[in-house]
Amino acid sequence: MSGASGGQKRPPPNWILQHPAYQQMKDLQIEDSAQVHAAFLVYMDLTEVRRWKEVSCVKSSELQVVLLEAREKEGAPTLTILPLPAHQSVTHKSIRHVLDRGFPVLLCAVAADSTLVYQRMTDGLVTPDPPVGPFQDMGRRQHRKRRQQR
Amino acid sequence: MQQVLVLLNVVVSININQNNQSIISISHSGNPMSMFVCHGAQKPTRTSEEDAAPAVGVSLCDSAPLVWRMQDLRAVRAQGLVGALLGSLPRTPRQNGRLGRPLLLLPEEEGLLRENRKPARPVCLMCGCSQQDWGGAELRQKYEEEERRSFEEQSVLALEDRKSALLRAMTGEYSGAASADDALRRRLQALDQNFTFPQSAMAVQLSTARAGLSYCPEARAFLQACGPTGAEPRCDARYQVFRDLRGRGFYLTSAGKFGGDFLVYPGDPLRFHAHFIAVCVSLDESVCLLDVLAVARLGSNVKKTVLLCSPGPDPGVCYTSLQWSGMI
Repeated sequence: MSGASGGQKRPPPNWILQHPAYQQMKDLQIEDSAQVHAAFLVYMDLTEVRRWKEVSCVKSSELQVVLLEAREKEGAPTLTILPLPAHQSVTHKSIRHVLDRGFPVLLCAVAADSTLVYQRMTDGLVTPDPPVGPFQDMGRRQHRKRRQQR
Repeated sequence: MQQVLVLLNVVVSININQNNQSIISISHSGNPMSMFVCHGAQKPTRTSEEDAAPAVGVSLCDSAPLVWRMQDLRAVRAQGLVGALLGSLPRTPRQNGRLGRPLLLLPEEEGLLRENRKPARPVCLMCGCSQQDWGGAELRQKYEEEERRSFEEQSVLALEDRKSALLRAMTGEYSGAASADDALRRRLQALDQNFTFPQSAMAVQLSTARAGLSYCPEARAFLQACGPTGAEPRCDARYQVFRDLRGRGFYLTSAGKFGGDFLVYPGDPLRFHAHFIAVCVSLDESVCLLDVLAVARLGSNVKKTVLLCSPGPDPGVCYTSLQWSGMI
């Protein structure tokens, strides 16, 4: 319609760059932009999709990454979330740094297609949940099956 | 005690001789075909030394530490080390469900045995710490004596078998009492005089309780010369983690099936399922995030917690448990 622009529409502005939460993370001055992008995706997932409460971002100076803190619901304990692009590597030491903050840690791996996978990390040895019942005594059933097969 | 089965004209009889060994003899129409000698439950004869201190004889095959003797296996298990059985059982060889001796130890388990042995016994773990040092000639003599004794016993038993078979055959066929007795007596006499037990029909005893290096002094000397192989940094981390978890009372086995370093059981593996898959890394080692996800997912599929273990700067090991978050 306006011939002066040359017939080509300008691409719409990148909404991520303009999002206030992203701006906040940018202000933390982390060099790894991939990690900041990953952190933003996790932020959006927690706030809009899962609707967690009190989601905020902090900087971890030892690791030079953006960490998120959030609660699942009102009154739930605060968790620390470590968002990382999936192709990166991590050392046990950096995980210990995040654990030392004192809150339970969720590691979130962000794939190239924005798939998110959350893993819980705890200090110490956590016994796994036992298998659920009801338990049936197999008894002779297995032996009978094997004999029939022969 | 004698038990007799008749199987298609073949007579199988089981006798027990004075050493509590059962001798199974198979004869066809009175002619001995073959005999087998089976071990009863023989207790190991050397008891006093092994009871006093838990020194364990470990033989090295290339670099694999193997434990052969029953008392050593018991001592190893009593210390909470599980190992893996490698051999086949002599009575059921063609299966893999239940394996027998030797026991293969993890390098970490062997290291722990070295640490725990009492300093008063300056014994290298290669030889079987026995005072009865038999040379080769003595051993051969002993073996030949035993073979001779066994042959004599077996010929006596074979003769008895023949007589009883004859008796049964005779009394079965002839109904007439008097003639049967005479003929029988004559036959029995003839048997007594002419019976020979051929050497080829003798059963040879395979002794499974005497294995070990006690009769190979050359091999022992060779093994004494080479010590344990040097440790790589990963091996060191694994050893620290193994020692720490063992000290806390857990039982550990190798976790090759689960992609980790160790499987951690809260008690004896025969009684419990494993609770943890231990992956040993050093604190500074960088691990690809995809590998962390893979092992954590595997752990959640088999209902085990994945443990990231690193020996820390302070004497101690730090553990991080990875669990499925439950957030899809």
